Formats: sequence, structure tokens, C-alpha cells
Amino acid sequence: MPSSQTPSIAGTALDPTSLRPDISDAEIVRIAPAELRDKLIALRGDGFTMLLDIGGVDYLGREPRFDVVYHLLALPTKVATLAEVGTPRRIRLLVGVPENAPTLPSIQDLWPNANWAEREIYDLFGLTFEGHPDLRRIQMPYDWEGHPLRKDYPLRGPAREATPRPAFALKSNVPAGTPPSGKVAAALQKQIARARGQAPVPARGEDS
Amino acid sequence: MPGQFMLGKLDDVARWAQSSSVWPLTMGLACCAIEMMSVTNSTYDIARFGSEVFRASPRQADLMIVSGRVAQKMAPIIKRLYDQMADPKWVISMGACASSGGVFDNYAIVQGVDTVVPVDVYVPGCPPTPDGLLYALNLIQQQIRQGGRGGIFAKA
Repeated sequence: MPSSQTPSIAGTALDPTSLRPDISDAEIVRIAPAELRDKLIALRGDGFTMLLDIGGVDYLGREPRFDVVYHLLALPTKVATLAEVGTPRRIRLLVGVPENAPTLPSIQDLWPNANWAEREIYDLFGLTFEGHPDLRRIQMPYDWEGHPLRKDYPLRGPAREATPRPAFALKSNVPAGTPPSGKVAAALQKQIARARGQAPVPARGEDS
Repeated sequence: MPGQFMLGKLDDVARWAQSSSVWPLTMGLACCAIEMMSVTNSTYDIARFGSEVFRASPRQADLMIVSGRVAQKMAPIIKRLYDQMADPKWVISMGACASSGGVFDNYAIVQGVDTVVPVDVYVPGCPPTPDGLLYALNLIQQQIRQGGRGGIFAKA
């Protein structure tokens, strides 16, 4: 039995959504920050021994503004069938973090690999983790100001954001809805039409 | 050929030797580094121009190939490596990102490595073909044979 993460064979590369893995393979639970550690300790005792990743999300304008997502995986601990190995139990914990108190308890003592993941979230989102032994920036330079993955962080950085972009870089030069033009775009359209069976495939040697 | 000899200016001979042994620094920053590596393979064979010796130490390198986008965090490291290289030295800015920031017009990427170190040759492309990099090397060799001196002597 193939893993549910395997892309469907029915879809083609022309349909990018067909390549998106199924997210229903994991149980998704939303909990409050106060019960985070107790819940994680309970889950770890329940067999979810592996912390895959911790992610941060910024929903600007929502309350609470941030989400921190814990991805857990339960690997079979005793003899398992191939199907059981291919579809391990997964769980995702969503924890909302408000902007005015952007802090969570650290779980670095439960899973040591949370150390760098929490540093990354601190670096890019500005959320702090209480009890973390070494909460430094990990990706940006140590003297960096601001947290770049926050949605209100200017894309080109606060210093350069005020300077105008070169004219050719402005998308507004092209009116919205303008179809792509040029040889490459035409060839691509032809290729898509052929793949959908809407245009004849040229015989070998015939100029396409 | 016993008994025969050639006459030439010592300067010319020295420049010919120097231009035939431009040793690059082992430094890959991003995907351009893959093209840089393929330049050393037998298909393109940078050894034809005497530059196959990628040195692991900046003290022994003559040429810095900035092969990829330069992150803000990487810029001081590149500057330091450049300063550690002994004169004369040359810099190739390989690809759109190293030359201008490329598509990465954002907070994390330096908009052109020439804001950090002086660049002798820019190679366009995303990534440039290995032939493009070889041509850049040939331009550097040309500069050397015509009396160009890289690094701090370049403007002298």
C-alpha cells in the first residue's frame, strides 16, 4: 500500500494541485499555550516519540496572531506490517500565540532537536521560548534587527524599502490579465493543448 | 634542441606563466557552484588553462569565483576571504545573483557582490554555462598578459 504522501498517478504535471500531498494523514489538534507541555509529554508517552519539526505561521490581523505547529510522528515500536510502516501515526499540534505576549514554553528538554527549531522561530518570527538554554538567532546575522518572516516586515528590508525599485521590476507596467506573449509562451500553450488532447501531435520530423 | 635559444622579455615570460596558473579559491555559494564544478570535469576541462587547482586556502588562491547569491550573513565572510588572499588577486562575479542580486530583490541577499569586493569580470546567466565561466577566465588571462594587475594594484 503506497504512502498517502505519494502523489496521485491520475494527475499530471500540468495540474500542480495533484502533486500536493494529502494532509488528512495526520490528526490536527489545536490547544492552548498553557497546556502545551502537558499535552506533549502525554503524547510522547503515547508513542509519539519523534518530533519532526516545529513551524511558525504569521496570520497578520487575526487574534491570536501567530501559530506554532508541532509535527509529531509515532514510529511502530514492535513488529509491524509494511502497511503500518508506510502509514505511521502523525499528529499536528497548533498553538495560537498572541502578539502582545509572544512566548511559549520551550520543549528543548523533551526533544533536544527542538533547540534549533525554536531558535529559528525566534529568529524569523520573534517568538520567545521560556526555558530555552541558548535563544540566539540562527539564520540571520546576530546583529539583525526585526524578524523577517513576519508579514509586516518589508520584503526588501526596512533600509531599502524606501528607495524606489527599478522600473522594469514593477509588475504594474503590465496590466493585469495580459496573456503571456512571445515564442516561448506560444510553444508552451501548444504543448499544454497537445497534452490535453486538444491539438494534434505532429508527426516525427514535421516542424512543430 | 641543444644549442638553440629563444629571446624574450622576462616580463612577458613571467606574465605568460602567471596567466597560465590562475588558481581559484574553493568556494561555492549556490547553484552556480554546480556549473563551476562541471568546469573542472573532462567535458569542459579548466585544466587546459591551468586553473584546475582549486585551493582550499585563500592564502594560495589567485582567483575568487563568487558562484551564487551572497547572503547578508555571508558578505563579511567573503570580504574576509578576499582580504586573506595574497596580491595579485582577481574576482569573477558568476551569474545574475552575484552580479546584481538577480531575482532575489529582498532583505537577505546582497544586491551585487561588487558592493563587498572589487570585481574584475561579470558573467551573465542564471546560471552561466561552463563555457561562460571559461570565457571569463580567458578574459582574466588576457588582462594578466596585457599587464593587468589584480587586487590593490589594479588601479595603480
